[in-house]
Amino acid sequence: MKSQTAEKKYLPDMPQKEIEEMNATVKSASAKIIADNIAKMKKTDPNRPAAMRYFDEVSDFFGMRQKEIQAAKAQGKKVIGYLCVFAPVELILAADAIPVRVNSGWYDTSKFGDRIVPVEVCPVIRSTIGAKMINLSPYLELSDAVITTLTCDGMTKFSEILSDVKTVWTMTPPRVKDSAQSLHLWKEEIKAVKTQIEKLTGNKITPKKLKEAIQTMQKATKAFRRLQDLRKGNPVIMGRDAMLVNQMSMWDDIKRWTEKTDALCDELEKRVAQKAWASPPDTPRVIVTGTPMFWPDNWKLPTLIEEATPRGLLVGDELCSSDRVLYDPVGVDEWTMDDMINGIAERYLMASTCPCFTSKDGNEDRVNWLINKVNETKANGVIYYVVRGCILYAMEYARVKRALDKINIPVYYLDTEYTREDVGQMKTRVEAFLEMLSARVDF
Amino acid sequence: MITAGIDMGIQTVKVVILKDGVAAGKAKAFSGFEPTKAAEQAFAQALQLANVKKEEVSMVLATGSGMDMAPYSAGNVSMMGADAKAGVFLFPSARTVIDVGAEEARAVKCDERGIMQDFVVNERCAAGAGTFIEAMARALEVKLEDMGPLSLKAERASPINATCVIFGESDVVSLIHRQESKPEIARAVFDSMADRISSMVHRLGINPDVVLVGGVAKDVGFIESLKRKLGISVLVPEDPEYAGALGAALTAASRKKGASK
Repeated sequence: MKSQTAEKKYLPDMPQKEIEEMNATVKSASAKIIADNIAKMKKTDPNRPAAMRYFDEVSDFFGMRQKEIQAAKAQGKKVIGYLCVFAPVELILAADAIPVRVNSGWYDTSKFGDRIVPVEVCPVIRSTIGAKMINLSPYLELSDAVITTLTCDGMTKFSEILSDVKTVWTMTPPRVKDSAQSLHLWKEEIKAVKTQIEKLTGNKITPKKLKEAIQTMQKATKAFRRLQDLRKGNPVIMGRDAMLVNQMSMWDDIKRWTEKTDALCDELEKRVAQKAWASPPDTPRVIVTGTPMFWPDNWKLPTLIEEATPRGLLVGDELCSSDRVLYDPVGVDEWTMDDMINGIAERYLMASTCPCFTSKDGNEDRVNWLINKVNETKANGVIYYVVRGCILYAMEYARVKRALDKINIPVYYLDTEYTREDVGQMKTRVEAFLEMLSARVDF
Repeated sequence: MITAGIDMGIQTVKVVILKDGVAAGKAKAFSGFEPTKAAEQAFAQALQLANVKKEEVSMVLATGSGMDMAPYSAGNVSMMGADAKAGVFLFPSARTVIDVGAEEARAVKCDERGIMQDFVVNERCAAGAGTFIEAMARALEVKLEDMGPLSLKAERASPINATCVIFGESDVVSLIHRQESKPEIARAVFDSMADRISSMVHRLGINPDVVLVGGVAKDVGFIESLKRKLGISVLVPEDPEYAGALGAALTAASRKKGASK
């Protein structure tokens, strides 16, 4: 555990009173935003699936799931937070610990982060720093250790900042996948984090335990893919709802999440049979790619797309905060420890489409994944979403645009910030883009 | 058939009455604090100029950043969609339309039917738009309409790299301190704007012919700078600030036609 007496390198000592005041202010604003987002989602689809109610409940940061984790902690369970989808959750589950993603989607906390780092830094980082400063995120607060992956410069320095107050385990992914050393290097990182997890929890990760954890996650992937398949045809679920379901998989108890997602899919299959569409079948179909978007505040773009005139339908995304989370299962041939660790290393490295990778052909995996997604979901266009300071995604745009131009799929680059003030401008752009897509659908 | 388009711009409201494929009446008014009222006034004036009664107008469509506040309107057209329609109507060979208004610059790629294929908008910044010229004219103590002719007298270019209106202004002040002449500073202002807009258009890809519209398209200084930066000729219509309203009126006409088919 992090010693509380160690000298802090970054974070200031804020007066307790200020922390409490800020915490209360943002918390109550957050409750309003969550209620507002859900109300809007209900309005867009008046026949919103009843099974969504469960996910709405999980989406309340300060509600049921927080209490559940608190109770588990009181029983001696450990909580391991993570910031990137590179974190091998199977290992966390195998050690009977609770994995939970801790990135901040709160706009208001980014201004606290501004006290430590300049505004040029990506707002996901600034906001997560700010959330820590005012002890806002229940999951970050409950974490006994946090896994960070050094995918970008922001994440690298953030790990240092967070070390002021938390036990942080960094993992360094190689920037190339096809070098002989890459997988070996990454496997060593996986093994190192496994040792850390065992040490923290006091639980040995046995082959039996790990097999169970891998199978649990494989089942989750199966439910996730079932939901994704249902998004490929005429709309039976709005994109925001599916996005919420996918994001909640990182907070919820994964076994229960799998059951609830399957129940949602059962309901959606009935909708298919009844042709009860969530939106007219000719609604322009959009895919979003780029910087991850986190609940509750950064629901801005999906909301704009699905509330625009003409309305758009989010049929999928290429975000590490939703559709990429459960996409790939760990593949194992023989259930030996070594083979399972290999499978985990491969799944988290080779299958990743993070823009941190490069090769002599460029980040081909991401381009191919996206094109595949466009084809599978019959998307009419792509919105390339980038927040200021997100250099890797911003730079890779030109490459992605050229690839999409080749298959005649329009793509629009939309840059924004952790702020509510540019909603008007964003609306103009999103609506023009959707107008263009509908004109193309018509002809 | 008679239709109308209302462009609810940030600074000015523009109205075009389109009668059988001809812009029969155009009028504008300052948006001010009551843009809806301003639009009603401009609308009445445009009707008068076109010699048309309000009841004769079969459909009104709105565009511009304040489009939701437009009176009489049956719906909206995006600014980019309106630009594309108007650009190809004014110059059938147009395939790229650049629109520079008071607070926004955008470029639209379109096909021969005037349907937009792609677009870019300046990134939440006024340094590439009309407001920038206004601020710089103030710094130079020159009337806005004199900026263009003044810049044409410049003998050479002196670079400023305006990343925003505020810093641009301090760049201009430092040029003044270096005792650069007013014409050269005026040209530097247009060059820096044209630079930003030309990189933006390059990201979209330039498809000739290029048409320039919007209020800033009336400025000879800017037109010259943009031609230099793009390296190709640019077509500018008469009354370029009415392009948005015209595009909305044209869209209304094609929607009406589509509906009666």
